[in-house]
Amino acid sequence: MKRIWALCVLIIYRFLNFYLLFAVFSLLFIASCTKKTETTPAFHATPYTIQIPLHFPRELNIPTDNPMTVEGITLGRYLFYDGRLSGRPGPDSLMSCATCHIQAHSFVCGIDHPVFTGGHPHGLTGILTSHYMLPMINLVWTNHGYLWNGMVAEDNPQAGYRNLEDVVGMAIISSQEIHGDTNRTKIMIQQLKGYPGLFSKAFGSSVITEKNIARAIAQFIRTLISADSKFDRFMEGKVQLTGSELNGYVLFMTEQGGDCFHCHGGDGNPLFTTNLFYNNGKDSVFTDPYDRFSITGSVSDIGAYKAPTLRNLVFTAPYMHDGRFKTIDEVINFYSSGLVWSPSISPLMHHIATGGVRLTPSQKADLKAFLLTFTDSTFVTNPVFSMPINMPDE
Amino acid sequence: MRHNYLLYRFIFLVITSAIISSCTKHHSLEITPIKYGDIIFTFSHKVNGESLKFDTMLYRTSLGNNYKVTDLQYFVSRVSLHSGKGKWNDVKTDDGIHYTDARDNYSCSWWVNDLFPAGTYDTVAFTFGLDEKQNTSGRFPDPPERDMFWPDILGGGYHYMKMNLKWKNNTMAQSLPFMFHLGIGQVYAANTVNPDSIIGFVQNYFRVSLPCKLDLSADGYHQILIEMNVDRWFDGQNAFDFSAYPNGIMQNQEGMFKACMNGRKAFSVTIAN
Repeated sequence: MKRIWALCVLIIYRFLNFYLLFAVFSLLFIASCTKKTETTPAFHATPYTIQIPLHFPRELNIPTDNPMTVEGITLGRYLFYDGRLSGRPGPDSLMSCATCHIQAHSFVCGIDHPVFTGGHPHGLTGILTSHYMLPMINLVWTNHGYLWNGMVAEDNPQAGYRNLEDVVGMAIISSQEIHGDTNRTKIMIQQLKGYPGLFSKAFGSSVITEKNIARAIAQFIRTLISADSKFDRFMEGKVQLTGSELNGYVLFMTEQGGDCFHCHGGDGNPLFTTNLFYNNGKDSVFTDPYDRFSITGSVSDIGAYKAPTLRNLVFTAPYMHDGRFKTIDEVINFYSSGLVWSPSISPLMHHIATGGVRLTPSQKADLKAFLLTFTDSTFVTNPVFSMPINMPDE
Repeated sequence: MRHNYLLYRFIFLVITSAIISSCTKHHSLEITPIKYGDIIFTFSHKVNGESLKFDTMLYRTSLGNNYKVTDLQYFVSRVSLHSGKGKWNDVKTDDGIHYTDARDNYSCSWWVNDLFPAGTYDTVAFTFGLDEKQNTSGRFPDPPERDMFWPDILGGGYHYMKMNLKWKNNTMAQSLPFMFHLGIGQVYAANTVNPDSIIGFVQNYFRVSLPCKLDLSADGYHQILIEMNVDRWFDGQNAFDFSAYPNGIMQNQEGMFKACMNGRKAFSVTIAN
């Protein structure tokens, strides 16, 4: 009996031993693996949260595969201002986003630009852009497609034409803009001291890709938020408008006044654009192959373009997709008495029978005074949006 | 000692089991599980009984205005179902508010999360537009609802409906836009539309109550099809003449009143199980 007991104990002991040894080895193996991964720490960029101003939309247009990070925005700002984005080092071949998108002009080139005559930019090749510039303001809330005709939109069946990142990518290679070559640009930026490290911090890899260049710049552009105009402070109850501005406010917000709000927003939509597309009665004959009709194929979209934001209007002349109006006064005169009927005119242009809203000179002055309350000087001087003092390789 | 312990444990277990089993039995006698049905509201739009076709000058009012519709967007709110037992069951999803853009199929279906007790329902009711409590400025900061905002100086809140049209009669050379927009009306002190002379506002929303026969079972979804008959906004007792309102009706309470009187008869309901 004792022998049997001894045998059992021995068997149990051996089994235990075996399992003990197995457990010890397993733990060692796991530990060694863990140690290995610890030598290459996981990539963690610092999340950046956009502070949504009062009355602004809650829904932001940020793709899930390009979340905003402090490091991404920092990198994007450098790239936005770096002329070597063209992939060419020569001083006459430099072109960056900021070559045309100038902060002092709310990120359009401005009507008084020394090179881009009348505010119409062209690329490094000298080819003019199809349209004049749209202000680069509050694009994080763009929800119906980018550009004057909304070509780059989430529902575009063609990949590469869906979001702000795609717009940036297009600008880099377009002959009307930077006219870059993706390989040359990548190689150029890769060679610049400082950039690989910034890419590593922003995207976890120091290998520079076209995609990550576009992602970083798009992140920076999404931070370009204007929400500190006199009108914003009026809405917050911090300031009062003058008598003339208030008269203009009434004209702006009433159907029987100037009726601006249906397309350009107002107290219920402080973006001052619906981001939708309208034929606003500029022409009766349409020759531009890049209107909204070219995207939708709907005849009601012939001659239609995006209603641009009116924020910082004072800095963004000339006006309309073809830059035909040089001053705010010209624009007001157009809506007052210069409308032209066409079959596709927007139904919101309901004053067409009288050629416009027929404002008196004092009403025009009041409306202009109100439009100028959308001026956000802090936006055009904010150092966070301006050119970095030193580039990464300096 | 150990023997006592086991005995106590045994007694404790027996008593506990007895209590639990008695409780279970008690409840199983009283609880009758309530069955719920699921509902989808679907919004469709017709003219003279046919599906609305946008952007085509196909239609004609009783007063001889030819017209086409380019946009149709509107709110319904406080949607409720009246059961055969005499109780109103309110839709709570989205605070009972639904925005429809007739051009956007997605917005024409409203899958409500509410659980309605299975049974018979005899009426679907809703408010066309938004009432004073729900029609507050800033309620919808995001598009598309945001773009329905109604300027504060004209009463604030949101358009109940934006129907954009182009119309033409036999004497006109070309079509003209018409903004058939409804919302809060204004009362002006003098014979003017100067907002400085506004002395009051008029709530133009109205209640629509549509008899129906809905047998709501606990199986599957039940579709309640709410149909807007667009032509009825213009025809009927308050025949609407576009030429009478060359500046639209947002600032013309008489025009909005007339439209809303017609609108009360613009809806019908069909149940599709």
